[in-house]
Amino acid sequence: MEQSQTEIVADAPRGAVGTLPVLAFLSLVGGQLPSFTTRANLYTICLGGSMLWLGLAGRARRPLPARLGAGTAWWLVPVAIFGVFEGSTFLLGSMAEYPTFSKLADPLLEDELLRSVGYFAWLGGFWALVRR
Amino acid sequence: MSLTRSLAIAGFLAAIVAFAVVEVLARRKGSTIPTLGDVCAHVMAYEVGRIPVGRIGFFGFWWWLGWHLFAR
Repeated sequence: MEQSQTEIVADAPRGAVGTLPVLAFLSLVGGQLPSFTTRANLYTICLGGSMLWLGLAGRARRPLPARLGAGTAWWLVPVAIFGVFEGSTFLLGSMAEYPTFSKLADPLLEDELLRSVGYFAWLGGFWALVRR
Repeated sequence: MSLTRSLAIAGFLAAIVAFAVVEVLARRKGSTIPTLGDVCAHVMAYEVGRIPVGRIGFFGFWWWLGWHLFAR
């Protein structure tokens, strides 16, 4: 039998206990770096690159869940709503009167605490994808 | 605040609420709706030959999203 190089990890909560403080620390650091700076660019590029490397190395994946059914189509509802508004605001130039999602988020992300929270959500999502 | 700006904010909020509602419905016992994580896992499992196209696509998109929001 061919042996898979991928280690299947089913006990996600145990792994999360050690990971969350690391992600929180990285988020606090990221929250201190304002946009449009070299430091912020390097930080997101290095963090994302590390996550990409971890994800493609594939050492800690969960087993693939059961086959998807017809209920999957329900996910098209939120995706379509977001797509319509993001697409239309982008095509109309993302003006202040009709802004894209990221333009709406920019003033919120200027606050260091909210920026750290945003970083934590981004890194947490990235880590969840890495483990899939 | 202009009407169009309010419309954009309401639209994005509606999308976020819809994501949350579908996720809650998916987590109910006996639900036929898969969770967002399960959907992502299946898309990420897509490969062309030995190239993990699904994983590269998801990681690439998420990487760009973080850079776009926090660095650009």
